[in-house]
Formats: sequence, structure tokens, C-alpha cells
Amino acid sequence: MDYEFPKEFDLIVVGTGVVESILSAAASRVGKRVLQIDENDYYGGQWASFSLESIIKSKHHKKDYGGNESETNLLRFGNDLVSLKNIAHKFHMTSNNTLEEETDKIENEEQPKENKWTEENLLKLSRKFNIDLYPKLQYARGDFVELLISSNIARYCEYRSVSRILIWFNNRLESLPCSRSDVFANTKVSVVEKRMLMKLLTSLNDKEKHVQNYENKTFKEFLTDKKLTPNLIHYVLYGISSSSDDTSCEDGIEKARRFLNSLGRFGNTPFLFSLYGSGEIPQAFCRLSAVFGGTFALGQQIQGFSISDDKFKSVTLQSQTVEAEKLVLNIENLPARFIKSDKLEYISRCILITDRSVLDSEKEHLSLIFYPPTDGKSFTTVIEMGFLTGTCPNNLYLVHLIAKQNTSPQEDFQHVIDKLFASHVEETSQEKPSILWSYYFSMPETNDIILSDDLPNNIFVCPGPEIDLDYDTSVDKAKLLFEKMYPDLEFLPRAPDPEEIIIGDDNEEEESTDINEEDHDKVINVEQEDKENVISAEQEDKVNVISAEQEDKVDQQ
Amino acid sequence: MASRKKTLLKVIILGDSSVGKTSLMNQYVNRKFSNQYKATIGADFLTKELTVDDRTVTMQIWDTAGQERFQSLGVAFYRGADCCVLVFDVTAPNTFKSLDSWRDEFLIQASPREPENFPFVLLGNKVDLEPRAISAKRAQQWCQSKNNIPYFETSAKEGLNVEQAFLAIAKNALAQQNSTVDLYNEFPDQIKLTNTQKSGGNGDSCAC
Repeated sequence: MDYEFPKEFDLIVVGTGVVESILSAAASRVGKRVLQIDENDYYGGQWASFSLESIIKSKHHKKDYGGNESETNLLRFGNDLVSLKNIAHKFHMTSNNTLEEETDKIENEEQPKENKWTEENLLKLSRKFNIDLYPKLQYARGDFVELLISSNIARYCEYRSVSRILIWFNNRLESLPCSRSDVFANTKVSVVEKRMLMKLLTSLNDKEKHVQNYENKTFKEFLTDKKLTPNLIHYVLYGISSSSDDTSCEDGIEKARRFLNSLGRFGNTPFLFSLYGSGEIPQAFCRLSAVFGGTFALGQQIQGFSISDDKFKSVTLQSQTVEAEKLVLNIENLPARFIKSDKLEYISRCILITDRSVLDSEKEHLSLIFYPPTDGKSFTTVIEMGFLTGTCPNNLYLVHLIAKQNTSPQEDFQHVIDKLFASHVEETSQEKPSILWSYYFSMPETNDIILSDDLPNNIFVCPGPEIDLDYDTSVDKAKLLFEKMYPDLEFLPRAPDPEEIIIGDDNEEEESTDINEEDHDKVINVEQEDKENVISAEQEDKVNVISAEQEDKVDQQ
Repeated sequence: MASRKKTLLKVIILGDSSVGKTSLMNQYVNRKFSNQYKATIGADFLTKELTVDDRTVTMQIWDTAGQERFQSLGVAFYRGADCCVLVFDVTAPNTFKSLDSWRDEFLIQASPREPENFPFVLLGNKVDLEPRAISAKRAQQWCQSKNNIPYFETSAKEGLNVEQAFLAIAKNALAQQNSTVDLYNEFPDQIKLTNTQKSGGNGDSCAC
């Protein structure tokens, strides 16, 4: 608090969501001086995870943006358009105190008498919850996982693989047969169907061949023409390619291939999830940025920024003005005047705490559930997280629902909730999980937002989460922006392993060799490749990092 | 390793900027010291293997990477810590005053299962410098008031007491792991993405 920021940076990043944090890491990594700030006192913005208490308290949008800009010539950050809407939360069981907030109109008021969970004891466990505003999975062989590995950022996170994939079919939940052994173990599929399915899955690899003649057709038409049975079409269309009826053939095949290619790398399914929630991901990139000299300040009061000669010039914090060549900001922080779109698409979101799994089984802790579109309702993705995901206490489940918004989050999910969860009214449905708490909101889709032409060309705008299951679109976006910002610089080259960096010796490079030899048998990380790279560190505010793959210079200051 | 469970201890170092966190780590692991202060850069975490009571343990010591300067360490930093090392500068009273808030911050963010028994170790660093502002007695009193935190006076510059302090840190972390049921393994079998796993087989892939 007593510290001042330097007066000048190469790059100021406002916001700590995934895309802007990737850019921050990438810029710091190639030696740019980066200041990353956030008005929130937590990382992640719309990509953050919250404790139970903090998600309830959080307003997710702060202030009134009808600013009086003329006074100071400062443009204020933020706009009214891009924020969470329709927020409604509720505890669904009797509470010891009557402070229950009722902001939605969900029914199911009656309580099962013997329910041991109360509002009070859920709140006691508040910090055991890591509730993602927007949960994301990662394809085991997707661009994002490859980036985490190639850049060495993977060391800041731990993962779970999704333990099973379920699909709603014939009015019940079924396992999705996705791997060879699943297909053969599946009793719902006839032998003939098994052969058909295997043949199709194997042949999907040859995309070019398929797409011919299907340029303007849907994936569903393609599958129908392949003479697949309705069973199989259901599995492949809604499950393996998580597509809708109107998904194009090309997209459907691409999605199915990504799914199939990611099988067999980690665990039984193609998906990974970051332990403790998706909010860890932006923090991992921020950590790398910090390790390479990035300056971080959360909970900042930011007055605004200034533009002169059509260029971004500086950001004014509470008591200090900081200049930079470039500004990266999250779309949430962009002043409304730079947004051309006046209407946004929304993603419906619902988060539930439940008392058991939708489909009990001994070891399942992370289930991905596809609920195909029905009667004009959107395709719904459900992610159920158990204790081992590090996102909820033992014996409870955290359930996330995601769909393109049609009407409102409550209406969009009512049919799914009716099918999967016990309504308290009909107490007979013992098998189904009871809902203990629910949280609904609408998340703006900002990936395709149109920006105004007079946005200065040294300002770069990062979108929030989009509807895809994974981060690959966000990585693409970050890469694209980075290329615009620094066309000649490499995007997130491999960061040296910690043991490759030795900081702060005066003049004895040889000695560092000695020490390495002395500690020769030291096992650094059981899982990690051993590297005996000797790093020299020089004085004068310089840390020279020499790694096997590249020789970079990271000049501090 | 005797048990199949590998003994990896995650230790995090907290304290105000420029109390010598990075220097202590660096002195302990690399036996290096730089006299010239610079804000932490390039310091991520360092790993050292050591033997504690006939057990071989790998200690991973995490630096704040400078994110402490504006109170901006994210919760991810605190995940799975087995021991928290608090550091202050014996010549700078403010860094001593901050200890309470660092300790509280740790307990809130890391939310360990048994906060009252979680192992902290306090290091009063820079004892090679004059004038001294915080006496050993005062530091010890603070430690006593916090459930008897072990206290060491160190000099990262001269390597004084550094080895001993980290040995105590390892011991405390280990005791913690042994006493609480599988603290480290609260979430067993988590996946680490590393290069070596890249070559992993396509075992169950149906596309082949």
C-alpha cells in the first residue's frame, strides 16, 4: 500500500480474466514491462470462482457508469451492457434464521423433514466451495492444454479428468459410449450398431472426404445419410460432438474429432478440469506474468484513462497516473462509447448445490452430462462436481448448467431440473438429488461483440467466457491479439524450469556449476524431465535465463 | 521412499516486500546471495531434497513472485501448502507489524483443516544488519501468543541459521502431514500436465 507504481510501463492490463491474463503472461514473458490491475479484490472477473458466501454477496457489477467525463477528461472504465443479469439465488431448505433471500420464483417450497442440511451449516462450509461463474473443461489434446504444457504454465495447476460422460436419452441418463471399450461394454447398443459406430468413429478422422457434398448440410443430415440408427445418431450428434440439430456438417465433424483425438491421454474421457475450479486458470497465467516481472495490483480504485491524438496514453489510479504504450482491457471495462453492438446474446447459467449425484456410483466425482435440445429448448450442458474436484465439501455436489439463453435462465432450465432433480413436492422420488441452493444468472456472450471504429489502435479488448465447453476459442483470441500487439515476438515460449534459474550471484558463474554437481543427485520433480541447465545470473537488475531450447534475455527494468 | 505416497512438501514464504524471502530461498537451495536488491523476478519456486528423521522428502519452496507487494496474491498460490514461513526484517519494525495480517491472510486463503494447528515458522531475517529494531524477545513473545510458532533469527546474506530454519520447516510440515489424515493427499491422484506425459499411450482411443 505504501508502494508507488513506476510511472511508465510497456503495457497496462485492466482486468484479470483468462484472455487478458494470457496476454499479460505472454507480454511479460518476452520482457515487456506489464502492470495488471483489477478493481475487484480477486482474480478472474467473469472467469472467477467464489466461496458460497462471496458469490451470494457479490454483485458482479459495480457502479453507475453515467460518468461525468468532462470534468477530468478521463474516460471511465466499464459499461452497463456487459454485466451479469437476472441474478437470483435461494436456499431451498428450512433455515434456522429467516434471512433467506428470495429473489426468484422457483417453487418447490416444501421441505423433507429429515434433511440435515440447513442454510447455516452450508454457509459454515462456505470456503470449501469454489463456485465457478463459468466452469470450463479442457480437451486433453486441445490447443489450451498444449499451450499450458509448451509454455510450462501447467506447473501452476493440478487437474482432474472428467470421470464419466452421461447423456439424457429415452427419458433417462445413460453413459455415453465414447471409447472402444465403452462401445463394446454398452448393453444398449446392438452388435450391428456397435460395428456401425466403430466404423463411423474411425472414419471421422478423414474429414476432407466427408465434407464433400455436405458443405451446406447439417451434421445430423450427414449422420442420417450414413444410415445410423436413431440411437447412434443421438450418441454421436448430442454426445460425442455435443452439437445441435442445426450444427453444420463441418463443425460437427470437427467437434467429434476433437473429442475423439483427446481420448486416452488422461483418464477415461477426453476432458480435464482444473482442481479447485476454473478460477485457478487466470491465476496461473498471472503467476507466470509475475514471475517474469509483471506488477500486480488487485482492488484498485481506477479513475479512468486518457486518450490523446487517437492513442491511449495513460491510466489514472486513485492517486497516480501511469503511462503505457498499450492498453489491454476486458470488455467489461470498456467504455460504452467504444461498443457498437447495442444488444447482446446471453448464456443462461444455473448453479445448484445438491445432496447426491444425479446418478450414484462409487467413484464418480466429475460428470459431464449432455441434455439434448427438446421442444424448442436449447442444448444444455450439465457439469456435476463432487468433493474430489476441490470445489465443494464432502457429501455435497455442485452442479453447473449452461445453455444458450432463449427466455430466462429459470425457464431455460426448468425442464432439465424437473427431470434430474427431486422436486420437494413429490417426496417419493428418493433416488434423485435434492436441491439445497440455487443460483441463476445470465452471462453476456461477448466473443462476437462489435467494437466501434474509433477505438484507438493501441487498445486491445478481451472477451469474456463464451459458450464452448473449453478454452480453445479464448486461446485463439489471445494469440490473435498478441500478434497484433507484438507481431515479431514469440507467443509464450517455454518458460524455464525453476531449477534452471539461479538468482543473484555476483560473478561466479563457475560456482553455480559446482553447486549443481554437488547436488547432482537431487531429484527435482519426480514427474518432470530432469534438466541440468546451468543458469548464470548477473547483477545489475538482470536475470539471464538460459534454457536448453532457447536463449532469451529477460531484462528487468 | 518407504511409502508409495511420495513425500512432497509445499512450503510458502510470506512477508512484506524486501524482507529477504527470495534471498532466504536462494541461500538455502543454491547457496547464493545477491546484495543488490531487486524486486523479485524469475523467482518461482525452488526444490530441494533433504533427509528428515531418515525420510527423504522433497521440499518445494514457493516464492511470492512479487505479487505480495500490492496485496495481490491469489488464492491459487496458497493451495495445498504444508507449511507457511513468515519472514520479517529485524531492522524494519513495519515488517514485524505486518506479521499478523500475513498470518490471517494465510489462514483465510488456504483455509487449512485445522487452522489452530497449522505449522507456521517465523524467520527474523537480516540479523547481520544494524540497527536492530525488533528484539529476539519481542519476536518470541509474538510466537508464543500464536500457539508457539518456532522462531529463527537468520541472515540470508551470511547463510546464518538458514539451513537449521529450513530443516525445522520441513520437520513441522512433515509432522503436520503425519498427524492430520493425509493432508497432502486430500485430493489424491490429481493429474499434473508435464512433458513426460505427452508421450503417454493412446490406450483407450477408439479411433485407432
